[in-house]
Amino acid sequence: MKAPGGPPLLSVRNLDAGYGHVRVLQNVSLSVDAGRIVALVGRNGAGKSTLLRTLSGLNRAASGEITFDGQNIAGLRPHAIVAAGLLHVAEGRRLFRRQSVADNIELGRYGLRLGAEQHRQRMDRIHELFPVLQEKKDLPAGGLSGGQQQMLAIAQAMMREPKLLMLDEPSLGLAPVLVDQVLSAILTLRAQRVAILLVEQMVERALEIADEACVMQNGRMIASGPANEIATGDALRAAFMGDHGAPGHLQS
Amino acid sequence: MDFDVVAHGIVAGSLYALVAVSFNILYRPTNVFNFAQGELVMLGAMIFASATSLAGMPWFAAFVATLVAVGLIGLVEERIAVAPILARSQTGTGWVITTLAVSLIISNLVGRFWGPDPILVKPPEPLSMEALDLGPSRISSYEIMLVIVTIVLVAIVESAYRTLKGKAVMAVAEDREAALLRGIDPGSLRRWSFFLGAAFAAMTGVLAAPILYASTSLGPDLLLKGFAAAAVGSIGNNRGALIAGYLIGVTEALGASLLSPGYQEAVIFIVVLTVLLLRPQGLFGSSTARTV
Ligand SMILES: Nc1ncnc2c1ncn2[C@@H]1O[C@H](COP(=O)(O)OP(=O)(O)O)[C@@H](O)[C@H]1O
Ligand SMILES: [Mg+2]
Repeated sequence: MKAPGGPPLLSVRNLDAGYGHVRVLQNVSLSVDAGRIVALVGRNGAGKSTLLRTLSGLNRAASGEITFDGQNIAGLRPHAIVAAGLLHVAEGRRLFRRQSVADNIELGRYGLRLGAEQHRQRMDRIHELFPVLQEKKDLPAGGLSGGQQQMLAIAQAMMREPKLLMLDEPSLGLAPVLVDQVLSAILTLRAQRVAILLVEQMVERALEIADEACVMQNGRMIASGPANEIATGDALRAAFMGDHGAPGHLQS
Repeated sequence: MDFDVVAHGIVAGSLYALVAVSFNILYRPTNVFNFAQGELVMLGAMIFASATSLAGMPWFAAFVATLVAVGLIGLVEERIAVAPILARSQTGTGWVITTLAVSLIISNLVGRFWGPDPILVKPPEPLSMEALDLGPSRISSYEIMLVIVTIVLVAIVESAYRTLKGKAVMAVAEDREAALLRGIDPGSLRRWSFFLGAAFAAMTGVLAAPILYASTSLGPDLLLKGFAAAAVGSIGNNRGALIAGYLIGVTEALGASLLSPGYQEAVIFIVVLTVLLLRPQGLFGSSTARTV
């Protein structure tokens, strides 16, 4: 599946970033190939969300390089990064809760000129993956369940047919059956050649579906490699050691 | 209750509602109150009056030129007085001072350029300011048209929020960061809303001119009552602004006729303060409206 010899879709090198003067990420490097799922794991506060926020331009990189699809995107404003095909579904979904489900989906294509046929195709693809969104199209997004909200947030991103979709804890607060649905949607997206950078607290589930994985600890990237190797490696154990919430996720 | 007094209250209230709507246009995507809005209304009236009464331009050409000119001034204001402040911090409130400064600058320059004499502006043909004989009321054809035009304008502005751009404005108002992640550029929406909000203010000035005369003292009065209508009607709510505009206009007219004219301002502010003490979010407030 890996594009032989081609440059990665996303390549991050020696990235330092944070919030104002607070430095969170130190010397982070990462790469994501087209059409692959990369799981990004690490305990709470490791800096996973900060990394995604920096990639999507919400936070400014203090130093380092971010190359996406052959373009240097460090320092671009978020809407320009979205236009380049890098989409970020933030922690907590961050929908427009007062607007309808249909309007939220429409907002997903803001600024994009789609022909009627193209528009219909994308809607079809969304409704095929998440039929419930069609049923609830007139409801305010705030009235959806957590799982439906996650689907809606992914649907918004799908309106742009992203090259890379970054998902920040999509399973957070979801009932197990909905977690399964969201994870299988991620696999469907990969089959459609969308690359996924997946931040997950359900580490084991994430590593199951991922091709590659990387592990963060205290703002640094401490390991990366094929998902099955990471799943059994020491770095993962080290990253979660002493964390009373996480080891449960690691037990089989 | 004198029907004629109420009718004139509704006419004045329509103007307050228009000023309030121009506030709202700006406020929704930016959370900024433009305190220069009253002076932009005045500027609209003065430019239009000069173009028609003094330079003899046809009504419609002068109307368009006035809206574009004042819209551009709004855009300049956004660049020099608002953008630098929000660039430093999205939640900064320094714009209170800078937009007031813009208001003072406009008022000063305009006073120097035009002088204090009001300019008479005639309504476009075939409308006139002559009172019609309508039984209990002595209202003019232009005033009737103004009330209708105001309702139509509020409906147009509201329908603009149902377009994709309008929904993006509401998205930015609800969660700016979430909007950024969907590819919406709040900066561009902010520039547009300053242009349109200023042009709308200018249009209010053009519409007000035949009734109030174009004069450099128009600004502060309309700023205050327009702001009151926006607050009572719940900030950001245009239909609320319309009804609150009527409420304030009618209260003012009744206050002037029942008490002595000198008390009308006091009556308005008693009503406004009472409403806001009982309902700080305004009469039509939901969670949509944020307070400053
Ligand atoms: N808005 C913020 N301002 C300052 N520091 C923050 C902010 N958000 C998160 N942090 C800090 O950044 C670090 C990484 O947080 P985060 O990226 O959210 O971790 P994760 O997503 O891996 O749980 C934490 O130490 C956290 O306290
Ligand atoms: Mg996080």
